[in-house]
Amino acid sequence: MSFEEFQNRSRLYVIGALEPEEIEEYEGARKSFGQKAEDFIRECYTLHEAFALSLRPAKSSAALKNRLMAMVREKKQR
Amino acid sequence: MPGNLESSAPLETEDEKSRLPAIVPALPPGAPSDLALMRAIQAEEPEALSQLYDRYSGILKALVLRVIHNEAEADDLLQEIFMEIWNQAKNFSSHKGKPLGWMVTLARRRAIDGLRKKQAYTRAEERLQSESEQQPDAWVHNATEVEIALGDTRVLIRQVIDSLPPAQQQAIELAFFRGMSQREIAANTNTPLGTVKTRLELGLKKIYDGLKELRHEL
Repeated sequence: MSFEEFQNRSRLYVIGALEPEEIEEYEGARKSFGQKAEDFIRECYTLHEAFALSLRPAKSSAALKNRLMAMVREKKQR
Repeated sequence: MPGNLESSAPLETEDEKSRLPAIVPALPPGAPSDLALMRAIQAEEPEALSQLYDRYSGILKALVLRVIHNEAEADDLLQEIFMEIWNQAKNFSSHKGKPLGWMVTLARRRAIDGLRKKQAYTRAEERLQSESEQQPDAWVHNATEVEIALGDTRVLIRQVIDSLPPAQQQAIELAFFRGMSQREIAANTNTPLGTVKTRLELGLKKIYDGLKELRHEL
């Protein structure tokens, strides 16, 4: 597998769209490309940020936040 | 609190900044960085989680809603997601990526798991139709300073995504927001598997390349 093909597969990998039969070959290439591969995969996760940031923020509830913070503080005190 | 967070948590190194495409908009002056907040959460400071909630709950809820299309279920999941951020913060490493990327990955996985558990694909399709018509105004609320900056980012990212052919956008939408495999997309859209793969690869490459361009605009 060329590095260009590895890059294409990596973008599918980070969004969970690699098919099961493609995983083994992909993981083999990942291992052989070493750190270069890891660096590229990490950069691909920027796609996750981008898809989230492409959405209009939804209104989140103050009550939900209060409930969440109460749970967190209670857990911390345990 | 912000001062404490900034002083107790070192900012990212220039090396870390240069390696990753930075698409997260600049924060208001004096606001702690996302990384500073994550490190404070790792130190079990609840106020840091509170600030992170204020900053990103709208984005994460929008992501969850895009997957499950149900307001009440989205709120339940959002609470679980922020509890998981609190509980799993120790597993976050800035060497592996940005805090927002980590949170989005976590939120997306939760949302897709929730969708699968309920086996609600069909119902979500029906809701998507009606809710997408209401979304532009119904979900708008008073924007914070951070959200205004996020709005600028959103417009730029949307331009990149909207520049893709509709078939590529659809394939990516089904893969990312529905968690569908290539085979599921092929079956869902009556498209050959090879074509789905090509659409995903080309579309994701264009978005990835477009994001690299955006680094210079944000």
